[in-house]
Amino acid sequence: MGREAWNDFRLYVITAESNHPGKSVVDVIEQTLIGGAQIVQLRNKTGSRDEVLEQAKALRELTRKYKVPFIINDYPDIVLETDADGVHLGQEDMPIAEARRLLGPYRMIGISTHNLQQALAAERDGADYIGVGPVFPTDTKPGRAAVTTSYVTEAARHVTIPFVAIGGITLGNVDLVLAAGANRICSVSAIVGSHDPAAMCRSFLRRLEAGAEESKTVVMNGREEHTRARTVEQLVIQAGQQNKKLVIELNGIIVQRALWAETELKSGDSIELVHFVGGG
Amino acid sequence: MEEKVSRDPLVIAGHTLSSRFLFGTGRFPSPAVLQQALEASGAEVITFAVRRVNLESVEDDSVLQHFEGKPVTYLPNTSGARTAEEAVRIARLARAAGLGNWIKVEISGDSRSLLPDPIETLRATEELAKDGFIVLPYTSDDPILCKRLEEAGASAVMPGGSPIGTGLGLLNPYNLALIAEQASVPIIIDAGIGSAKDAAEAMELGADGILANTPIAKAQDPIIMARAFRLAIEAGRLAWLAGRIPRKKYASASSDWAGSLFEAAAGADSGGKP
Repeated sequence: MGREAWNDFRLYVITAESNHPGKSVVDVIEQTLIGGAQIVQLRNKTGSRDEVLEQAKALRELTRKYKVPFIINDYPDIVLETDADGVHLGQEDMPIAEARRLLGPYRMIGISTHNLQQALAAERDGADYIGVGPVFPTDTKPGRAAVTTSYVTEAARHVTIPFVAIGGITLGNVDLVLAAGANRICSVSAIVGSHDPAAMCRSFLRRLEAGAEESKTVVMNGREEHTRARTVEQLVIQAGQQNKKLVIELNGIIVQRALWAETELKSGDSIELVHFVGGG
Repeated sequence: MEEKVSRDPLVIAGHTLSSRFLFGTGRFPSPAVLQQALEASGAEVITFAVRRVNLESVEDDSVLQHFEGKPVTYLPNTSGARTAEEAVRIARLARAAGLGNWIKVEISGDSRSLLPDPIETLRATEELAKDGFIVLPYTSDDPILCKRLEEAGASAVMPGGSPIGTGLGLLNPYNLALIAEQASVPIIIDAGIGSAKDAAEAMELGADGILANTPIAKAQDPIIMARAFRLAIEAGRLAWLAGRIPRKKYASASSDWAGSLFEAAAGADSGGKP
């Protein structure tokens, strides 16, 4: 699979067997592919190498059938053995250069990052994509502090390779993540833990597409900005301004903070974000 | 006498302030110096400006974070406004932040002198007072205008000593004294103060308080200067309360001549001084 086609994905699915007791990984992942999953990662931190290899072989076959890229968490050797499309690394795993040496120039290398410094380092070291998260607290990675949507915004501004927002993302909060600047999202438990993974994928894809369609132009503090934010609150988060004590004026009318979430934006709106500076 | 001196608060719109110093927060070399200078000043009212946030930064760079938990009264200003409408807009933005309803009306009529536009200042004062704000207009040192601002609903009137940031001191002490004398709301001398001496002078003219920023923030040592202002304002106030002596053209000795060692004895040869 060429890199260009690979870059098109927006919905990334990762296996999490413990989320669907009684159903096989292959069955659940097939459901996600029917629902439109655009890239699949096998993540198995507890099984033996042999078990991972068996799952990898099965998922390789399945993802080929659905023509989506297949990534394996850790195990560059299994990537080669099963002809998977790439490997996904954590910050504590082998360096990107080492994975690149093992896998050659054509396979994908992705890496999880938790701050902008790690993201820029990954980009410099030749990663093909990065994970940005956990955006929200998640049971998939207990004990890891959530990076919040402000890191998504930073990534959107400064990272040039594809980045995937991940961690605690559900249908209930995906709009905030998209508003913060993400184009690609990954949801683990909300998808594979769903009783209907296919329907859940379709719901996520609809939200991703709605986000893309609703791009509008607003004037923010005198500067023209393109945004997919639906509401004032989403725009503030997208601009990374949510930690400031702000007052907002939309088309000359003050919007009280309590109303940010329900105040919708439309193209041509003029919005002022003001705060207080030293003065006499 | 102790009673008169120790219980002499400044009351603005029913709010009792024990300090007569209104503290401007701009142009300090660092937040730490700003905080320590405010501490040293004893001021209870702080001034600041409303500006667009810097969208390039996600850090909270608002000046207000340095005063969290401090029992201060917020006096946002409308600097940047050129008309009454712009000032009203800024005032409403500031009030929407939940910082209370005090507002310093500041409308520049000219970018070089930054002198206040009297017409727009009067209009803004009227409108904001009607809208429930506690309005403290920064104005020129015109006694009639100051009276008109009071009538328009200003809770205190703030004539300038000289243009903002010049440090030229009190250019028209006669007017300032007249303004203070005829006012029935507090008169705060705002702008142009250069040093503690000017602050003391203004208080001795009968001003009820001083608003200063640049002479503290840009002093070699802002923290010590803040303390100097505190003392000068207090000294000036006490001198005003005490009542100064009238000015005379010629000297008058501090001691009677009578009993001088060189006084001629009564009835003796009168060769001494008159």
